Order: sequence, then structure tokens, then C-alpha cells
Amino acid sequence: MRYRTTPWFFLTPFLLAFTAFFIAPVGYAIYLSLFIKKRVGFGPAQNVFGGLENYVRAFQDTAFLQSLGNILLFLAIQVPLMILVATAMALILDSVKKGFAQKFFRTAFYLPYTVPGVIAGLLWGYLYSKNLSPLNQITGLNTDFLSSSILLFSIGNIVTWTWTGYNMITLYAALQNIPGDIYEAARIDGASNWNVTRYVKLPLLRPALTLTGIFSVIGTMQIFSEPFVLRPLGYVPDNITPNTYLYLAVARDGNFGYGAALAIIMAVLTLILSSFFLRNVRGETA
Amino acid sequence: MKKLVLSLSALLLAGSALAADPVFPKGPSNKITLEVWSWVPGLDKTVTAFEKAYPNIKIKILNLGGGPATYTKLQTAIKAGAGAPDVAQVEYGFLPAFADTGGLADLSKYGANDYKKYFVPWTWGQVSPDGKAVYAIPQDTGPFAMVYRDDLLKKYSIAAPKTWADYAKAAATVKAKSNGAVKFGNFYATFAPWFMALAWADGGQFFKRDGDGWVQTLNNPAAKKSLNYWNTMIKKGEVGTLAGFSADYWNAAGAGKLATNMEAAWGPGGYAGSLGTKSAGMWRVAPLPQWTAGGTIKSGNWGGSSNVVTTQSKNPQAATLFALWLNLSTTAITADWNNGGLFPASDAGLSLPALAVTSKNPSKFFGGQNISAVYAQASRGVNVNFEWAPWFPFVNDNYTKQIDRMLKGQLTPDQALDAWQAESLAYAKQNGFTVK
Amino acid sequence: MTSTGIEQPQTARTARAPRPSRPPREGFSPLQWGLLFLFCIYSLLPLWWVLTTMTKSNGQLYSTFGLWFASPSNFAENVQLLFTRENGIFARWLLNSFLYAGVSAIGSMMFAAMGGYAFAKFQFRGRDALFTMILATIMVPSTALALPIFLLMQQIGLINTYWAVILPSLVNPFGLYLMRLFWEAGFPTDLMEAARIDGASEGKIFWQLGLPLVRGGLVTVALFSFVGAWNNFFLPLVVVNKDTLFPLTLGLSVWNQTSSSSGQDPIYTVIVLGALVSILPLIIAFLSLGRYWQGGLTSGATKG
Repeated sequence: MRYRTTPWFFLTPFLLAFTAFFIAPVGYAIYLSLFIKKRVGFGPAQNVFGGLENYVRAFQDTAFLQSLGNILLFLAIQVPLMILVATAMALILDSVKKGFAQKFFRTAFYLPYTVPGVIAGLLWGYLYSKNLSPLNQITGLNTDFLSSSILLFSIGNIVTWTWTGYNMITLYAALQNIPGDIYEAARIDGASNWNVTRYVKLPLLRPALTLTGIFSVIGTMQIFSEPFVLRPLGYVPDNITPNTYLYLAVARDGNFGYGAALAIIMAVLTLILSSFFLRNVRGETA
Repeated sequence: MKKLVLSLSALLLAGSALAADPVFPKGPSNKITLEVWSWVPGLDKTVTAFEKAYPNIKIKILNLGGGPATYTKLQTAIKAGAGAPDVAQVEYGFLPAFADTGGLADLSKYGANDYKKYFVPWTWGQVSPDGKAVYAIPQDTGPFAMVYRDDLLKKYSIAAPKTWADYAKAAATVKAKSNGAVKFGNFYATFAPWFMALAWADGGQFFKRDGDGWVQTLNNPAAKKSLNYWNTMIKKGEVGTLAGFSADYWNAAGAGKLATNMEAAWGPGGYAGSLGTKSAGMWRVAPLPQWTAGGTIKSGNWGGSSNVVTTQSKNPQAATLFALWLNLSTTAITADWNNGGLFPASDAGLSLPALAVTSKNPSKFFGGQNISAVYAQASRGVNVNFEWAPWFPFVNDNYTKQIDRMLKGQLTPDQALDAWQAESLAYAKQNGFTVK
Repeated sequence: MTSTGIEQPQTARTARAPRPSRPPREGFSPLQWGLLFLFCIYSLLPLWWVLTTMTKSNGQLYSTFGLWFASPSNFAENVQLLFTRENGIFARWLLNSFLYAGVSAIGSMMFAAMGGYAFAKFQFRGRDALFTMILATIMVPSTALALPIFLLMQQIGLINTYWAVILPSLVNPFGLYLMRLFWEAGFPTDLMEAARIDGASEGKIFWQLGLPLVRGGLVTVALFSFVGAWNNFFLPLVVVNKDTLFPLTLGLSVWNQTSSSSGQDPIYTVIVLGALVSILPLIIAFLSLGRYWQGGLTSGATKG
């Protein structure tokens, strides 16, 4: 008997909070997304039921679609580059015995991860200021890192700086977990270092790489703080990321219905992009 | 005895200062606290005087950052129905957008219309478009003039330009003589109201109520003329495009890398506050350059704010009292001028002796020039029938997008203004406004 | 990448025999040294800039070389200004951040430990469906949640309270997933059965027998919940607008914004110092708890 009720006893606190702060808000957002703003003459706007109108609008909204394009650019360039560097550093650190130098580099690499996104954006905002930037001081150039033509890359750099070390540590830990007997076998076969890396380490690293990849996708879909704090420093497009766009729809334009619809679309897109991760994880725990 | 005479005369002086103030509504009989969102520099000092005059009211000031930074918080707080302050600072241009949310109290219910006569007439038109409901109490105005570095102009043997033609000539001279190290002016590429004030001075009109709807003309001829003019100098490298109030901007202004800029009446106070001792005494103010020589000075208005009371306020009567006192009492007007360089919206305030005192900031920072006289002259040259639309927050942000495209050479100035007009119009229609 | 609410992946440190020694090289090759140094400079340079800048006055910020200290140092004045500005509100923000992050760490750790225990050690109807659903919500962007949470909070009158920030941070679906892995690997079911036969209560089995065995998981979940709450920006941005309730991230960003308003005395170097103060607790936490979370970050992933 007790076996039937006991698990629910343990689950209750989590489920209560989960329902209140995950299920209910998502449900409420779906409800809100069905309302549009309507007005007559000079009077204030009314919220009226509009069905799927907000969703139709979103898919015709070039500004929103462009923000998705920016995210795709991130996924195509920033994420692979970040994971590549993280993997390379993890492999290098894993290739030698643990010692002072190795520990020093490991610590140095993950320090940026301890910097909150908004603080990182704030700091890099100074480093990007034309007259202030040590980079310009050293090179003697007068690069405007906040110019809108390279702004996306400047933001990408902040994200890369914050997260590469973190991913590196995750991958390094995975490498450390590879059982030694596998290497023994490879050594007996006379495999070179490169071949050990190529045929032993990398394949075994795949699950960890998938995991970092997926969390990078989720993180990328949510970029907000960095462009938000860069806004007063120059022209940062409303739609630099979907999140800044939906924040402005709500906080500037007061259009909660549209903002909610955009939020739901983002959630669904993230789910789709990450679906192969779900399969992976379920496969493991079942 | 001497002491008594002194204090008596001090009392008399104080009495005469108070006599100039209108009679304010009575304060509350119980102790309350009002929360005020404002980015007026040094407002805390002004408020201390208010708390002394009204011991039952305690004021809590919160500075969330100028303009849009405060507006996004206010917008969400109004929507949430909780968390909004009692009083908030809102620029005239953004007032219709907040009135549209239904979150602003109608101050006519608390006797605000009785105080209409004390304000510069056009400012009342901004806070009470239909002449009945009152959405805010005018705080300050921003007539436009030119600030310049006297030392730099002397160094390059240039007189302060009186016309835009002179201005362009001077810009070329300074570029040549300084090898491009000194920019003659700065174009605020992210401040739409700054650019609009330039066109405003030339008769540009951006929004107008028409029957049941609106007419929007962001690409009016005055705007096109002005933008073409500035773009030419930007392309030649004579004029910079630093973001306003940024660390980079203050650095350039303080280090002598910038010779002039067009600033509103509240601007000089900002220079004095942000630059501190750097380049102190080197700045001067001159009237806005004109398109045609001679004639009366025409000017525009950039910013200037009002104080709204939210419907969430539990003490709207006291909040209205505070807003009135803040903008009509001699004490407040004097303190706000000295600490923040606020150019009052109060009619009597404009002729206050305190504004002409040159031994205190902001005039002191401007080499002891009586700068309020220049701005008072500018104020008389502002076209007062200027209107704003409720979708202005979008228009404001879209401006930076189009100007950025222009600066990158993707659009001509005319195309940028046309795109600004088209995209803003589409947005307004999308959000249910009747607009042409 | 905002780390708002949803945690980054940490997987179970499973009990595993130390691996037999393999023959790693004694030291890095010259090419490896080169790459490591390059990346090290990239990682540390902005932090070095923070260290030099916090010694400067605002004037020195422009007049001195960005990557070296100012002389005379303005550090003491900056510290004083940081903690006295606006009646010492910065100290309040620091305390708020500790409160938000501390409660979130302990709360979400306990919720995840209990929930993970139920999923790992019990069979019940709908278990797999429920677990899949919880996992799926990891994908929901926290910003998508923040706005509806804000509207819901408003309806129950929680806007502008500590609860508005704390309550949503108690849910950590990934923490639950992690704890399930830790329970499965670290607490043998035989042991549980034996305790039951000995007449131990379910509560006692969980508290006294089980929890000590998954200590590593508890620390990992708590640490990353702490970091997530400490770094949270978007949620406080929308649910609180009283400066006495701000966490450090929000407070500093507001200061940065007011510094960029006309007429405000610019305090950029003070903000930079504040940024360092906001990072220090996390650096200390990571350095001191390193052996827990670095040990087996992804064993859960490698297992599959």
C-alpha cells in the first residue's frame, strides 16, 4: 500500500512548484496569445478575441523572421565554433598528466562562466567602446565594435567568451570518465596519439558533445541580456534576437497577446530543434 | 539684536519668495509615502525641501535610467496593475502612448485645471490635448540652442555660426585645420526627438489629429532638408555620430574632440553634471543656427518632461500636489535649475532671478554666461502646435534603424525618411490606429 | 545565453572504479602550449581589465592605458562610493542576491532530490509520461515563462515581493533529471529493501540512508541552481521594480543605464568594481566545490 502513495509524497513539492511556475504560465500564455488589440477612434485599445491571428501575424512579420535568421546564423557559426574550441582545449588538457599547469588552465578557462550574462554584456560594452577599448589602444585602430554591421559578431563573442570554458569543462570531464582499459587496448594495437583521439576519444565523446550542443541551442534561443545592456551604446535593432523583439512587443508596445504568441512559437521551435536530445536522454534512462 | 534683525529679514525674504508661488492644495493629514520615478539629476535635494514643507509626505525617488529605460518598466507595471509609482517622469512625446494604456490618472479630478494659467501655454496643450482631461503636470521644456567650445572656436579663429551655411563652412575649416581630430558637431543617431527638434525649428510637423484619426508625416520637407544637410557633413567626416550620453561621448566632449552640438535647455545642466571639472568654463551657448540670416530666431523643442500620476497611486491627491509643487514652487524650480539645469515649464519660473545667476551651475560651467537668457529667447521661437502620436515609442526606435541604414550608405537621407514613414505607418495600422 | 532559471547540464557522478593508468604525456607540446596560452589570454583579458579599471577614477578611465593600473590608485574611493551611493543600496542588492540564490539552491535541491528519488526508486502509474513531460519543459525558454509568470503573480498580488523572484526559481527540471541519475547510480535498491525489512520508515530511508549517498548530486544541483538564480536577470527585470528588491544583476544594469543619462555623474569605474564584487562569490563557490562538480560532469551522458 505504502508503495503506491510514497512516490507521490516525494513528488508533491516539485510538482506543485512545477505546475505553478511551468504549466500554469505556459497555459496562460497560450490563452493570452489568442487576444489581439483593437481600437476605435482615439479611445484606448481593447483586447478582443482574435483566434490564431497573432500567430498568422508572427509568420508574416519580417522583423520577427529576421530575428530567427540571426539565431540561425548563431547556430551555424557561433555554436560550432564554440564547441570546436571547447573540444580542442578539452582534448589538449586531457592529453597530459594532471599537474599545476593543467589545473591552472582549467580554472582560467571556466572563470568567464561565473560572470552573469548581463554583467558580461556590460563589461564587453566598455571594451567595445571606440575610445575606451584596450583593443583599439593596442592596435592603434579605431574599430567600432558596436557598429550594426558587426554587432551580431560582437554579441557572439560575448556569448563565446562566457560559455566556451564551461563547455570545455563538461567535455573534459567526459574524457576523464573514459575507462583506461580502452586506451590499453589501443596502445597494444600500436595506435598513434592522433589515432587514439580520432578513433577512441571522439566517438566516446559524442554523447557529451550532443548534450553541450543541445544546451547551446537552448541558450542561443534565449539570448537577451547581452543585446539588452548594449542598447544605450548605439543602434541595437529591436529584432537582434527573438527575445529582445518579444520583450519590446510587451514592454514598449504593451501588446501582451502578440508577445505571448511569440513566446509560444519560440518554445515550440526550441522543442523541435532539441527533439533529438529528448530521444537520446529517454534512451538512456528507460 | 542684530541677529534678530537678520533672521527677521531672512523671514521676510522667505515670505516674499513664497508669495510668488501659487496657493497649493492642502497636504494630507496622515503620514504617507509617495514613490517617484525620475531621472532628474539632483532631485533628491529638491525633495528634501518638499518634505520639510509637507512633513506628512515622504518621497522615495527611484532613478531607473533616462527615457525608454524607465518607460518599459512603467509600461509593464501599468499592465500588471501593480508596482507602478505614484508619480513618474514622462517626456511629452511619450505621453500619448501612456495615456493610451489607461494607466494615467486624470488630474483634472484633483483640481489640476486650476493651475493651467501658471504654465507656459503650449506645455499645457501637451499634457491636456482635449483641454479637459489632464494627464500630467508639465515639468520642463527643451528649446533648442547650440552649445560650443569657446576655446576651440578661438583656436580655429571661427565665430559661433549664425546660419546653417556658416555652420557647414566652419565644420569644413575645423576638419582641415585639425586634420580631422576635432569633429565640429555630433549627430545623435539614436535620438529621434533630437532630429525632430531640428526639423521642428524649420516648421516640420510629424503628427496631427485629423477628424477621427491621425496624419503622420515623418518624411516632411523640413525633415528631408535637415537630414540631407547633416548627412553631407557626416560623410565628409566633419560631424561625428557618437551615441548621446555614453562614456565615449563625454570623453570626446571633455577632451576637446568635439566643438559644438545642438542641445535642449536641459542639456547644459547635463554637461555640467557629467563633465564635472573637465573642460569647465570653456563652453558657451549660442542661438540655434538658422536657415536664413536675420529675422527672429526659430527653434524646436527636444524632450522636456511632465510628471504623471498613475491610477495605481493610493494618494492621487497628494501625488498631484507633489507634481504641482515640484513644477511651480520657487524652491523647486531654483533647485532643479541649479542641480539639473531644468528649464521650467512654469511661466513665472522663466523670469525667476535664480535662472540668471551666473555664479552657479549650469551657467558657471558655461563660463559664467547667462545661458538661460539664450534659452528663453529660443523658447519664444518654438512652434507650439506640435503634436505626438500614441505609437511614438515605436517611431522613436524605428528612427535609429533607418538612420543606421543611412549611415552605412544603404539608403539616401530621403529614402531613410520615407522608410521611417512607411514602417511606422504600417505599425500604427497594425495596432489598430486610424492613420494616414 | 541568459541563464535564467533553467540550468545548464550536469550529469551524475557515478560510482566508478578509478581508471587504470593510461600513458598520458608528461607535458604539452609547443603547439599545445601556444593554443592554451591564446585561449587563456582570451578568457582572462576582460577580467584583467576589470582588475585594472577598478583602481581608476572616471577621468583616468580615458587618460590611462586600459590594461594597466592607475597611479595614484582610486580604488579606495571607488569602494567607498560603491557601498555608500544611494544610502548603501549596493550592500542591499548583494544581500538580496545571496537570499535569492541561497533559497533557490536549497529549495530546488530538496525538491529535485525528492522528485528524483520518486522517479528512480518507485514504480507508479504515469511515471514515464510524467518524466518525459518534465524533461520537455527544459526546452521552454525561460523568457517565454517570465511574462506569463509576471501576469499570474500580479493576479495573486506577488509583484514586488521577494516571493516573485524566489518561487519560480525553485523549479529545476534538469536538477530533477540529474538527481534521478544520481539516485539510480548511488543508492542500491537492495539497501533500500533491507532497510524496509528492518522496519525503517520511508522518510528515514530517504533522509538518513539515501541522501548521504547522493551528496555529490546534491552539491551539483545546489551549486548550479545557485548560479542560475544569482545570474538571473530577465525574471527580476519584469517582476520587481523596487530598488530595495533588486538583485545585483538588475541593480548594476540600472546603474549603468542611469550613468548613461544626461547630467548624471558617470560612475563607470564604480560599476566595474561592482561587477567584480558580483562575480567573486561564484568564483569562490566554484573553486571550493570544484571536486564535486568537476569530477564527473557528464558520466550520465557517457553512460548511454
